[in-house]
Amino acid sequence: MPYNLSKQRVPVDFILWKGITHDMDYNFKEKRIFLEDEAEKKNLELFLNNEGINLDKNLEYTVGIYESGKLAATGSFFKNTLRCLAVSFEYQGSGLMNKVVSHLMNEQYQRGYTHIFVYTKCYAAKFFSDIGFYEITRIDGLVVFMENKLNGIQRFTDELSKSRVNGKAAAAIVMNANPFTLGHQYLVEKASCENDVVHLFIVSEEASVIPFSVRYELIRQGTSHLKNVILHETGSYIISSSTFPSYFIKDDESVVSAHANLDLNIFKKYIIPALGIKRRYVGEEPYCEVTKKYNDIMKESLEKDGIECVVVPRLKIQGKAVSASEVRKCIRENRIEEIKNLVPETTYKYFKSEEAKTLINKIINNKNRH
Amino acid sequence: MEIKKSSIAGTLESSDIQIAIEPKKENGIEIELKSSVEKQFGRQIRKVITETLQSLGIKNVKVSAVDKGALDCTIKARVECAAYRAADAKEKYDWEVMD
Repeated sequence: MPYNLSKQRVPVDFILWKGITHDMDYNFKEKRIFLEDEAEKKNLELFLNNEGINLDKNLEYTVGIYESGKLAATGSFFKNTLRCLAVSFEYQGSGLMNKVVSHLMNEQYQRGYTHIFVYTKCYAAKFFSDIGFYEITRIDGLVVFMENKLNGIQRFTDELSKSRVNGKAAAAIVMNANPFTLGHQYLVEKASCENDVVHLFIVSEEASVIPFSVRYELIRQGTSHLKNVILHETGSYIISSSTFPSYFIKDDESVVSAHANLDLNIFKKYIIPALGIKRRYVGEEPYCEVTKKYNDIMKESLEKDGIECVVVPRLKIQGKAVSASEVRKCIRENRIEEIKNLVPETTYKYFKSEEAKTLINKIINNKNRH
Repeated sequence: MEIKKSSIAGTLESSDIQIAIEPKKENGIEIELKSSVEKQFGRQIRKVITETLQSLGIKNVKVSAVDKGALDCTIKARVECAAYRAADAKEKYDWEVMD
C-alpha cells in the first residue's frame, strides 16, 4: 500500500517494531481535512479508493484520524448527510469509526443539524444501527438509507396522514420549482382537474439557487385557485440528483438507478399508504438526461405496483417547452421582463418586487446550473 | 433550567454514552435509548438520565441516548453537560447539583 508517498527513509528499527507490536496502544489524532488543499484531497481520495469507495463531489466537512502521521480513518458530511466514512483495514476493530462518527455528530450539532441521515453500503447497516441509526429503506446489495431518529419516517408519515382525504382518487406530484413557472402550473392544474385531490410535494432541500421558502410561497400563490391541492414538504427524505451521494456506486448509470429506486421505495412504502395515492404526475423531461432516466425508472416501477404514472408533455409557449432554467437564465442576465410570458402573474410580481432584489443579485452571481 | 436549543454531549466510544437533547413543548421527559445492554441495564440507564434531568429542574425534553457501556457517573456527567449546553449557560453552574 503506497501510503508513504514522500519517499522518506524509514529507520529499520521502526519497521521491526511495527511488525511485532499489533497490540500496542495507538496514539490517534483527530484533525480536520481541508479539501481545498490539493495534496490533502489527493491523499484522501487514494485512501478512500483503497477501501473501495470514491470521494463524493458534495462534501462540506471532513475529519481524518491519524496514527503516527498516517491516515487511519475518515468521515465527512454534506448538510445533514454523513458520507465517505472509512477505516483502513489494518485499524479496523480499534473503535475508530465510533471516533469518526462522534466527531461528525458533534460538528453537526454545532451547525444546528440534529436530524442526521446516512447513505451507506448494506454491510455497514449493523454498525450504524449500534450507534443509534435506524433504517428507512434499502436496496439490497447496494445501499441502505438511515436516520438518527427511532420513528423519524413514521412521524413524517403520520403527519402526512392527517391530510388524507378518504374515499377520493388522490394523485401526487413531487416538484422542486426553481422557480414556479407556467409549466409547473399547467402540470398541477391538469392533475387537479383529473383527480379529487392532489398532494403536491415540494423538495425541501436547499440545493437550488432559489431558497425553499421562496419556492414554497410561489407554489402556494400559483396554486391557490385550485381548491383540491394540498401542499407538503419532502423533508430530508427525498433529495435532488445533484446532491445524491454517489461515492459508493461504481458507475454513473447505477447512480441514477439507485437514487430513483430509493426514492420509489420511500414513496411506495410510506407516502402512498399514508395518503391513498393512486396516481403520480410528472412533467416530461426533454432536456436533462439524468431526470429523464429517473422518470423512466419511476414509471416502470410504479406501474408494476398498480400505480398509474402520468407523464405530461411540457407546456409549450410559442413552440418552446417552458423551462425553469430558461427563467433563471433571463433573471441572471437581468432580463426580468422577459419572464412575464413564462411564469404565472404571482411569480412575475414577486421578481419585480423590492424583496426579490437580494435574491436576483444572488442569481446573477451564481455560477451553478441549478 | 430552561432548554433553549438542541445540544449533544459525549461520544460513541467504549464506556461512554452520547446524549442528545431537544426542547419539547409537551409535558414530560421522553427518552430514546440505544444500548447493547438494554435488557440488563436499560431501566437503570433511563433512571439515571431522568433523575439527573429532574435535579436540574428540567421538565420537558426529548433525550436520544446511545450507550456504549457507560457507568452511572458518566451518564450523569454527559446529561448535565448536554443540559447546560442546551440552556446556553455560560456561568451560574449549580455546582452543588454536580456533587
